[in-house]
Amino acid sequence: MNIGNKSTSWRFFSWFFAIALVTPIVVMLVASINVSSELFDHLWATVLPEYIRNTLVLGILVAVLSLCFGVPAAALISQTNIVMAKQLRWLLMLPLAMPAYLVAYLYTDLFDYAGPVQRLLRAWFGWQAPSDYYFFDIRTIGGAAIVIALVLFPYVYMLTRTAFEQQDRNLLRASRLLGCTERQSFYQVALPLARPAIAVSLALVTMETLADFATVQYFAVNTLTTAIYDTWLGYGDFAAANALASVLMLFILFAVVAEQRARAGQRHQSSRPNTQQQRKQLSVSQQIFASIFCWFLVFAGFLLPMSLLLVMAVDYADYPQFLTLMATGKNSLKIATYSATIATLIALMLALFQRLHQSSSRMLPMQISGFGYAIPGTVLAMAMLATFGPLDHMINDVAKAFGFTAPGLILSGTVFAIVFAFVVRFSAIANGTINAGLGQIPKSLDLAPASLGVKTVPAILRVHLPLLKSSMLVAWLLVFVEAMKELPAVLLLRPFNFETLSTQIYQLISDERLEQGALGAILIVLFGLLPIIFLNRQKDSK
Amino acid sequence: MKPLIKIENLAVELQRKVILSQVELSLEKGEILGLVGPSGCGKTTLLNTLAGFIGQHAGSIEINQCEQLIKISPDQMLPAEQRNIGMIFQDYALFPHLSVRENICFGLKKMAKVEQECRCQELLTLLELTELGSRYPHQLSGGQQQRVAIARALAPQPSLLLLDEPFSNIDARLRHELMIEIRQLLKRLGMTAIFVTHNKDEVFTFADKIAVMHQGKVLQVGKPAEVCQQPNSWQVADFLQLGSWLPVTRIVQEQSAQVTSLLGRLAGNAIVNSLVDTQSDSRGIYQLLVKPSDIELTQQQASNVIVEHISVTEQGYHYLLSSIEQNSNLAFSQLSFYSQELFTLGSELAVSLKGEHFLLYPAPAVTN
Repeated sequence: MNIGNKSTSWRFFSWFFAIALVTPIVVMLVASINVSSELFDHLWATVLPEYIRNTLVLGILVAVLSLCFGVPAAALISQTNIVMAKQLRWLLMLPLAMPAYLVAYLYTDLFDYAGPVQRLLRAWFGWQAPSDYYFFDIRTIGGAAIVIALVLFPYVYMLTRTAFEQQDRNLLRASRLLGCTERQSFYQVALPLARPAIAVSLALVTMETLADFATVQYFAVNTLTTAIYDTWLGYGDFAAANALASVLMLFILFAVVAEQRARAGQRHQSSRPNTQQQRKQLSVSQQIFASIFCWFLVFAGFLLPMSLLLVMAVDYADYPQFLTLMATGKNSLKIATYSATIATLIALMLALFQRLHQSSSRMLPMQISGFGYAIPGTVLAMAMLATFGPLDHMINDVAKAFGFTAPGLILSGTVFAIVFAFVVRFSAIANGTINAGLGQIPKSLDLAPASLGVKTVPAILRVHLPLLKSSMLVAWLLVFVEAMKELPAVLLLRPFNFETLSTQIYQLISDERLEQGALGAILIVLFGLLPIIFLNRQKDSK
Repeated sequence: MKPLIKIENLAVELQRKVILSQVELSLEKGEILGLVGPSGCGKTTLLNTLAGFIGQHAGSIEINQCEQLIKISPDQMLPAEQRNIGMIFQDYALFPHLSVRENICFGLKKMAKVEQECRCQELLTLLELTELGSRYPHQLSGGQQQRVAIARALAPQPSLLLLDEPFSNIDARLRHELMIEIRQLLKRLGMTAIFVTHNKDEVFTFADKIAVMHQGKVLQVGKPAEVCQQPNSWQVADFLQLGSWLPVTRIVQEQSAQVTSLLGRLAGNAIVNSLVDTQSDSRGIYQLLVKPSDIELTQQQASNVIVEHISVTEQGYHYLLSSIEQNSNLAFSQLSFYSQELFTLGSELAVSLKGEHFLLYPAPAVTN
């Protein structure tokens, strides 16, 4: 099926949205090339090298820790008879629903000098002062890395587990017949075959780490994201902030290139699902060790912080807090709903254009529109300000020139900028989900309606959309949840007196008063759980 | 001389379901055994049990390796990597992250580097893969991938080679040529092999011996020609498609037997097998194996069959006939018959049995 006479308008809108989504980033990059800011020079001469080093060290530490948490967990769940494997299979994904800055606050509260753990130890052992004993300092770059890895390792776990499960069982059997023991088969065949998936997941973890703002800010670890925030809001130097954002973009670009290279290697991966894999039978001691390892990850990444939040909520919840929660929750829901709906509709249009259009460039709009996923919220916010700020001024000037009252900052000063930023940032998620769903529909179904005399648009409405219903729902849900959680972009772009759940919680964390926002934090976590539960149930029903 | 592999009373259960039972087989060094049977009869399970991927519940497997006898039983299991058995998988299972050369050397890790290289080169030459050593599996054609799989399996010099439907992914035109080539290679190397297929033509080209399996049991083992001439059960004859089935009754009177069908009567001495002493079905019906050449057109009786299907073959027109009488216990359909004369669909013909050597079997039990 060709999109026929709708082709021109479809092509126009596909390219229009793709270019619109990428324009702010281009504007920011162009603006940063011509930067001549004294502040930037000063930063470069003083703190910037340290910020860059911190960013790199943090990225590497989180990647290594996520690898150490995620790969063994994936191997244990997919290849052994670990007790409660069915439950652990999805429990290990739950930390993904937990924003890192929440865990950071809760663990600092727990493990700090004044926290209950150290108090208890001092009471038990009779220690009087910090010099009497050594205790791990959580407010360090190492602490930040552990906290971030505890919530990001599920990326590595999920992708690696899927890779292990999809490996052709016969490859492992062949290696056994060629003299390898179970362990050798794992290291020589299973692990190398899962390498592309591990690399992709590590690229995702690195991107998310580089994009993190609130955790590092709370731990007072200065990285490029905190530097951008401070330069813009602290020193009011937009040009320098822009340049810093561009430097961060370079790092992200490295992660993206690494991810792309890993994907290219995936052509080696077998697509034959491993349905009846023989699982390794663990001995009693191995079983105990494996269970402790997996349950520790679930406990530290989800159960403990969630319990602490619940205790706070029970102890401190009151009616005024509930009213505030309602107001900020409404804002969050509004922004997340707009973003998810727009991103899903654009993704649907681009995916259908890619599938049904005949031109050789049909893949480009979707690829371009997905570029924003790699860009941290802080950078994206700078890009929005760089683009919509001048546009707003232009609109006001034109309005004044025609004798109208200046409308004010209608683009950069309203929720428009936030929604736009979210659509740019999360389009890749919607694109990927809908594209995967479309991939499940046989190509012959594109042609069948035409052979029955049905035109393109009715065919899409009657054939493709009903078949894509589930993918569209998943895409919407994933964008919705990400938008509910996203913090740095909202912090920089929100209009005055406009709070969302995430900004409110960040504010309370900054003021060391999370107790008063515990209910909202629980709400964010619960929203984060939605896609995990939904996707898990969908997989089980298959 | 002891057989290279001897399987006695082997039984396998998976998820409390009996998959194999009372399997008895033995194979001399250098012999190629073709394991055939309908889908789900347990062929691949038997192969996987021999390889060590599935544990047996009863029985034993004896492998005679370099004067050393290895006995595998439920109490004495041996991991796959210690059995010295090679396997070529249906999908070849080539390691996608390794080059052809690395794939071939995968099982040679215990050898010195120089020896590995030497053995690899030898196999690359033997299988005409010399130019492809540095390529990856996805860069090879199906036939080339199969050669790599063979080279890899042969590299550690296994005492037994297992082949799981090795020709199923090969283009029909190339298949026959490749079968002959690989058979010659295995014979040249004196390799003992067991190969699984559900294609009876493959087994006749490739195997020295054939074992027909049905519902987890080996029904008959022998040379292909022997099995074709004397199938020991209805299932064996039916799987090998040795002819059509004609329902008959058998009446024994004063030490002579008479076999009656809708195509006429046969004297008891026309039945050459001794299976007639086993039980018929509850209606007293047996099944007579009728080859197309056993049927002739006749003018001496009224029409008794109707043409249901016609196809053109090298041997003339091929007809599938049904009995005109359909209400009888002896009614039949799909009786295969060749003729140079063209009849139209629905024509009514008079045919009779002309052969003198027939095989008679009890009718198979009807399963719901």
